[in-house]
Amino acid sequence: MTEQSPLVEHFFRHEYGRLVAVLVRTLGARHLELAEDSVQEAMRRALRSWGLGRVPDQPAAWLLQVARRLAVDQLRRARLHHRFLAGQPPGAGDEIAEAEPVQLAGEIGDEPLRLLFLCCHPEIPAESGVALALKTVAGFGTREIATALLVPETTVQKRIERARVKLRELALELEPLHHPWMKRRLDAVRAAIYLLFNEGYLSARAESPIRQDLCDEALRLARLLSRHLVGNDPETHAMAALICFHAARAAARVDSAGALILLGEQDRSAWNWELVREGMDWMARSAVGDALSRYHLEAAIAWEHCRATSTEATDWEQIVQLYEHLASQVGGPAIELNRAVAESRCRGPQAALQRLLAVPAKSLPEPWPLWHAVLGQLHWQAGKRAAAIRHFEQALDVSESPAEKQIISSRLAILRGTASPSWLDGSD
Amino acid sequence: MAKFLFIYRDPVEPRPQPSPEEMQQFLALWGQWFEKFPGAVVDGGDALQPTGRVVKPGGIVSDGPYVEAKEMLGGYSVIEAPDYDRAVAIARACPIAMVGGAVEIREFAGFA
Repeated sequence: MTEQSPLVEHFFRHEYGRLVAVLVRTLGARHLELAEDSVQEAMRRALRSWGLGRVPDQPAAWLLQVARRLAVDQLRRARLHHRFLAGQPPGAGDEIAEAEPVQLAGEIGDEPLRLLFLCCHPEIPAESGVALALKTVAGFGTREIATALLVPETTVQKRIERARVKLRELALELEPLHHPWMKRRLDAVRAAIYLLFNEGYLSARAESPIRQDLCDEALRLARLLSRHLVGNDPETHAMAALICFHAARAAARVDSAGALILLGEQDRSAWNWELVREGMDWMARSAVGDALSRYHLEAAIAWEHCRATSTEATDWEQIVQLYEHLASQVGGPAIELNRAVAESRCRGPQAALQRLLAVPAKSLPEPWPLWHAVLGQLHWQAGKRAAAIRHFEQALDVSESPAEKQIISSRLAILRGTASPSWLDGSD
Repeated sequence: MAKFLFIYRDPVEPRPQPSPEEMQQFLALWGQWFEKFPGAVVDGGDALQPTGRVVKPGGIVSDGPYVEAKEMLGGYSVIEAPDYDRAVAIARACPIAMVGGAVEIREFAGFA
């Protein structure tokens, strides 16, 4: 038996995206599905051959070679079939891509990024584009995308199909990234990466390792974009910084509800300080020019949390001001909620409560357990026990996350007097 | 010690496509499977291309695998074990079952 060389983590997933992108460049975006099927089949074959103990020295090149052959064979068969039906003899022009040199993994250029820009075409609805990007660029399966985005698998399939139909209708192709219009698509590309990250990081409704994978993928794409000429600008750098700062704290986080309620109880030594440093580098590079994007503001907020040695030592006043900037740029209940939490830390629970109670209920996404949990917490701090219990009960009612439910239940137990608030005096 | 040929039979009917990540996990299981039985694997064997030729009496050659069952020959390994019981125990742990495949075990006659 030959030596089994271990594959790097997520090798198949990452190679999937790269290989699909490279094949699409040769075959044309109209053959996107053929490219995907060919890569899928190449991986299926690899599974069997490599499973028996023979991982080749250059596994990526192996996959590309097999996938390319499969795709070319398929195209040739289809063309011959077409000619046969049309009563034409086989002839010149059948040797599709025969002369194309086999490209090795190390030579793969900016194809994945080009595929991402294609998915973020303005004519493709954003959510369809993100689903297609997750499938093709990031190499996620439809079931994984469904789990990560918390939507049914059929919805994911429909979104991907919608994007594919648009690609075909408009005969869209991969385009070189130096075109001036690519810069204009950059906002959509950043929004897609940001959405990926948010879905992975901020949603509290499900626990699954796949959500961490989404964050990692967002970070990978943000780095890719930052390092390429087309995306190498302060706004992208700010986004990369933002993702690094959040990702650095991910390991220490109970879940996102815990992040807001229990920030003070987090073990700061468990943060990934290497990522914090990377975030600082990106942030330094983002501080050029006079654009102050939402990514700049959010990165600055995340940085305030990272640099503070404890909840008490956090500059909450600064955070409130950053949220005020952000609210004027972006707005929305999520920002109001975060701003209120920060406000409660430096100006007391009453000010924060006033702000949140002024938000019209209609504008809230439902169900949103975090909203009720924060209201419960603020009422508690303001000494309004009955209202606190009511809001925590509402939160418990709509929460689907076991970790979140546990936090809320423990709050309720203390409020109802059935448990002692040992954590209040800092004994744990 | 006897030698056994493990013949891997893949199901022919279509199954839901695994994601790349699932495929990598599956691949890791094959590695772990071999490692679980140190010394048993004489030859890891190889996978077989999905298509081939069939030569029939009279020299008639046809394309494609010789499909007689609902399974297709996917690959083989050579395994060493004291008896069939042990060989069966090894095959039971084979991850191919997770994707609906089967392992056929045949003892070498030892004539060669």
